[in-house]
This record gives sequence, C-alpha cells and structure tokens, in this order.
Amino acid sequence: MKRLRLDKRGISNVIVAMLSLVLVVIIVSNVILTSYQMNQFDWERMQENVEIVNVANTVDGTTFTLQNKGSVTAHLVSLWVDSATIHQRYDMNLFINAGDSVNYTLSDIGLVDNASIVKVITDRGTVSMFNSSWQNP
Amino acid sequence: MRKLFKILSDKRGITPVLSSLLLTVVAVAAMAIATSATYVITTNLRETMSERVIVEDVWFNNYTNSIDIYVRNVGEVTVYILAVYVNHTSQSFTNPFTLEIGEHQWLNISQNWVPNSSYYIDVLTTRGTQVAAYYEAP
Repeated sequence: MKRLRLDKRGISNVIVAMLSLVLVVIIVSNVILTSYQMNQFDWERMQENVEIVNVANTVDGTTFTLQNKGSVTAHLVSLWVDSATIHQRYDMNLFINAGDSVNYTLSDIGLVDNASIVKVITDRGTVSMFNSSWQNP
Repeated sequence: MRKLFKILSDKRGITPVLSSLLLTVVAVAAMAIATSATYVITTNLRETMSERVIVEDVWFNNYTNSIDIYVRNVGEVTVYILAVYVNHTSQSFTNPFTLEIGEHQWLNISQNWVPNSSYYIDVLTTRGTQVAAYYEAP
C-alpha cells in the first residue's frame, strides 16, 4: 500500500483525463440545457391556442373577444387590423390564462369593416386570425 | 555576498527546471486553446438552437409599390437577417437588418407585385434559420 502511494507514475495521465472529462461534461451539459429550454419553448408554443371569438364596433371603440383555448397562459403582444388599404398594428400587453375569455377594447381605432382581417400575436410567436364577419352598432 | 554569488554561478539542475517550466507552459496553452475552442463551438451551437423569428404580417403596399414584411424576434439571441427571397429571387433591403431579443419592425422589399398572385417569401438569418410561406397579393 505504501509502495503504491509512493509510486508517482501515471499521475499526469490521470490529471489530463480528469480535466478532459470536466471539459466534456461542461460542453455536453451546456448544449443539453439549451436544447431542453428551446424544446420547452416549442412545446409551449404548440400548446398555445388563442381564438378571436368576436369583433364588435361599439360606442367605446372596437371590442375584441379573445379566448385562450390552449393549455398554457398566453401573452398577447400585437393586434393587427389589415384592410385592403392599410395594415395597422397595435401594441398589446395582455395575459390570458388557459381557458379564460377576455374582452379587449381599443378606443383609438377607427371602424373596422367586415373585409378586414384581424389577428393577434403572442410573445411565443403564435398567430391567430379572425375570419368571420362581425356586428356593427 | 559570496554565498549568493556561489548560488548564482551554480548551473547544476537548471535543465530539469527549464523543462518542467516549458512543459507547464505548453500544457496551460493547450488547455486554454481547447477551452476557448470549446466555448466558441458551443456558443455557436447554442445561438443557432435559440434562434426563433416569425413573420407577423406581409403587406403588399399599394402606396409604395413594395412588399413590407413585419418580423419579430421571439428567440433568445439577436437575429441578423442575411437575405430575403421572393419567389426564390434574392431581394435588396436595408442591410444590416438586426433584431434584438423581443424586437419587431418592418422589413421593406422594393419589389413590384401583381394583384391576386401568390408569392413565396423566404426570410433567411445569418445562422441559417428560415421563415418561409406563401402569401397572396390582394
């Protein structure tokens, strides 16, 4: 045992192997962690399902009824009203919990006609469009 | 004084010291190169994996006679737009076009378009991410 302890041969090999092992573990864990995070992001994006249930021009402006039919909380960041002449974007900062319905009213918006396309964008990049026609007051 | 002079003039044992020192320098340099190479490679890999871009809107603009694309960076790294193709033809745009994390803006393409025609628009980043889809002009 004493002889084995005093024998210094092969120590450098062990040190090199250990250092290389540490380096490899750091690289692999780094890549795996990033991959896991982005997989989680993509999975959450796939679970997102926001629907524009109704759009109505009222005396207060235009009211958009939004419903989150997905299984994750949706963070809406943009609302688009695209007509034949102009594509107008409105900033949004609205969180809708899974299963919830929210009425979102914009007062600084002109009358939206039936030919317009209305769509909302989430911070994960999901786009939801409204295709049906709606009521004017 | 004489003792110090004796030590300084004694050349015995210098070779092993020098060789050990040289070996240490070589080992440290090799490890530093390996570490920095690893860092660069993994950073590139991580950035490529973390890149996400979406096209929010495409406007076939009557006023400017151009195709305006509204892009948003929804990923976790800064995005550099390298090229935009309309029907597989490269288009000129304001270069460099950079989108920070969460940033969104118009990307204007000076391209004549014909009403009721389909256009295949492909946005390409420097890391190789592509966002492509068909859009119909009104």
